Amino acid sequence: MKVVTGVVGNDIHVVANRLIELSLHARGFEVFNLGVNTYLEEFFDAVVETGADILLISSLNGEAEGWSREIKLLKSKYKNLENLVMVIGGNLVVGSADADTIVPKYKNYGFDLVFHQVDLSTGLDTLEEFLKERNK
Amino acid sequence: MSKMNDKLLIDVGSTYFKLCTPTSIEQHLRDFNKGILDDLKYKCGSTIDSYEKDDVHICSSANGGLSTLIIGLTNSFSLKYAKNIAFNSGINIIETVMYQNIQEYSIPSDTIDVIIIVGGINSNSNIFSSDLYSYLNKLNYSNIVYVGSETQAPALKENIENTVILPNIIDNKLHIIEENLKVYLTNLYQEDIVGKEDIKHLYDITSNQIYSTPYIVNKTLPIIHTKFAVVNPYILIDIGGATTDIHYSKDLVDDNIVTENEYDRLVFKKLGVYKSKESLIFAAQNNEFVYELLTHLKVTENIFQEQSQKATKVLMQLAIFLVLCKMSHYKQAYVNLKLLSINSIVLTGGITKVLSSQEIEDIISFFYKKILNSEHNPVTILDSNYDIWTLGAKGK
Ligand code: B12
Repeated sequence: MKVVTGVVGNDIHVVANRLIELSLHARGFEVFNLGVNTYLEEFFDAVVETGADILLISSLNGEAEGWSREIKLLKSKYKNLENLVMVIGGNLVVGSADADTIVPKYKNYGFDLVFHQVDLSTGLDTLEEFLKERNK
Repeated sequence: MSKMNDKLLIDVGSTYFKLCTPTSIEQHLRDFNKGILDDLKYKCGSTIDSYEKDDVHICSSANGGLSTLIIGLTNSFSLKYAKNIAFNSGINIIETVMYQNIQEYSIPSDTIDVIIIVGGINSNSNIFSSDLYSYLNKLNYSNIVYVGSETQAPALKENIENTVILPNIIDNKLHIIEENLKVYLTNLYQEDIVGKEDIKHLYDITSNQIYSTPYIVNKTLPIIHTKFAVVNPYILIDIGGATTDIHYSKDLVDDNIVTENEYDRLVFKKLGVYKSKESLIFAAQNNEFVYELLTHLKVTENIFQEQSQKATKVLMQLAIFLVLCKMSHYKQAYVNLKLLSINSIVLTGGITKVLSSQEIEDIISFFYKKILNSEHNPVTILDSNYDIWTLGAKGK
């Protein structure tokens, strides 16, 4: 399966991004890594060009929330993204807040899976289970 | 005298032609009642006759290039890459169509020289469908080239007559691969220029290949320092009768597209001072700073109606200003150059015969002050002897 990944906005924290690419690859995904400093339109455009099944965004410095508010509007301009699985993880707020408030908020922005300060392999396990369920 | 210097160089533009011998350089306004060859022979017959066909080298920028319509999938990748390659090949983009919305685009009435279709990495299948074919059926075009996902190529080949299929310009890491499309477009451009009936006749006086002028100029750029005190980075502006060309070093662009060439080129097809005078004036009237500029030059809008040396000067000054605006962050264009980093601006073409360096510098500093709020003042260099063209033409 094809995954487009990258770090959203002006965020330049690159370490997690590299790890994500390696882990996804090791789990058999075909990875298109747009790297740090990636804008929303580039994520969706990359999904269109590659025909990806999954979009996995990370955010470390907390900018994600601002960007995520624009997702529904932007996504509505694309015609063939109904089946795209959308995942986000990292530090999803500036400062601290608990997952119980963060997760529903991001689901409402359009994400299927939300991992706030969740360790990567736990997150990717959950993703694989989600995909299995979905393809049943 | 070295053998190389025994050449006769001829440059045919849309408005003027120039002849350069080892000892002289002359420029003539073209007579549009005559064919180019007849006109050349009439005005410079004895010079031409004194050279062997082998020693005559001709380049031409007459007709200002080709037009293209690009159909692609996204702004960040396929359309962006194809636009980049088309621009660098000197092709004028008249429309870009985002494939998913193809049914909403109006149909251009002009015949399009070449249509470029692009989209998807090679493993992406099921991209294009009958929407594409029905749109293409409504267009008038001379050439069509496909540079998208290879899994789509057989279907396109079958459904679109005479499609040229080239390797994908997007690789599997979503990076650009320029070369194949660039070579194809450059050749098409070249064939167009020399294929024009009128230019073909010029093979009566030369046995060498006729090149396009921008190709020659671009070849000069890496060796420009041998003739001019140019400080990097620089831009070169060639304001002609029908078009204005800008050549610039790649480090002036903030773009993550990695390509091989050191210099890129942009053509503004409708910014010329003779053949496209009307559209130049139109562009000027739509620029909010132009009235201030006219006041600065101590003239009024009435100058546009005049036919005088003064009016030509003002038009050329406007062309410089508009072209800088178009490349700056003030206007969100396809390419925005880091104009504050430029150390030299080289001007070539007919403009060097009409404006003094002072008149040019005046406009450039007006531009920097008004548009970029800066006192930055790059050094202006005038190529008034056509050395740029001569260097490139000799080098080939
Ligand atoms: C190194 C670092 C930097 C370096 C980055 C160097 C580089 N190019 O990578 C520098 C110094 C440049 C930097 C700058 C800044 N940083 Co900093 N930085 C860190 C630091 C110390 C470590 C980050 C790191 O590499 N960790 C190692 C990786 C492997 O872990 P990780 O990034 O946490 O990623 C893991 C998980 O988050 C998760 N994950 C990530 N994405 C996803 C996605 C999914 C789907 C899943 C399941 C999991 C997942 O998996 C990863 C592996 O387990 C953290 C603090 C910390 N200890 O985490 C702060 C931190 C991330 N930075 C922070 C901040 C605020 C900044 C700055 C704004 C500081 C400033 N005021 O200038 C700037 C922002 C720059 C920018 N434009 O983005 C804050 C963010 C706070 C927030 N979100 O509320 C942190 C948390 C520090 C803090 N506690 O305040 N930073």
